[in-house]
Amino acid sequence: MSTVLSETDLTAITADAVVDARGAACPGPLLEAKKSMASVAVGGVLELWSTDAQTKIDVHAWSDKVGHEFLGHLPAEGYERVFIRRVK
Amino acid sequence: MADHEKLVIMVTHGPEDPELATIPFVMAGAAVASDVDVVMGFQGDGCRLVQKGVAETVVAPEFAPLAGLLDSVRELGGKLLVCSPCVKSRGIEDELVEGAEVCAAARFVSEVTSATNSLVY
Repeated sequence: MSTVLSETDLTAITADAVVDARGAACPGPLLEAKKSMASVAVGGVLELWSTDAQTKIDVHAWSDKVGHEFLGHLPAEGYERVFIRRVK
Repeated sequence: MADHEKLVIMVTHGPEDPELATIPFVMAGAAVASDVDVVMGFQGDGCRLVQKGVAETVVAPEFAPLAGLLDSVRELGGKLLVCSPCVKSRGIEDELVEGAEVCAAARFVSEVTSATNSLVY
């Protein structure tokens, strides 16, 4: 499931957990997201930081497969902020 | 259902080929993160990757270090099956990492034939 939000809506999100996976190669950011999602309550949002441009695509596919909601990504200085809502 | 999917990944390349040694762990990591049951089978020189101290020496350019991937696969429930004659011929049957299980051909056949899919490296 995905509900890609606008940049304005993404900017307004205060994530329930932030995971810094900058510098990690595939599938490091995905594994960090998987492990960290357990600390987020259902309905909460996980924000994942990654310097790997493929992460947002990979996480989108992962969210669709495991049943979380991919909300989108925002560019930051030298990395990307990827947002996922825990659904189950 | 995702929680009934099983992927078997056969590994035949050892530390002398860091890229082909690492890629199976990348796939295994992505699979366990996706709630897919993962069984990794190590045969030939592949079994050296689960010899204590070896994973720490394997780093392929642009890939995550193998040791961290191995830890994540184990932490997220991946199984490690190792070919019995392969470890005996290399004299490493008592030097395997925690969680590695030595087994014979019929177990591999059972895992592969009951899997949703399999990959061979």
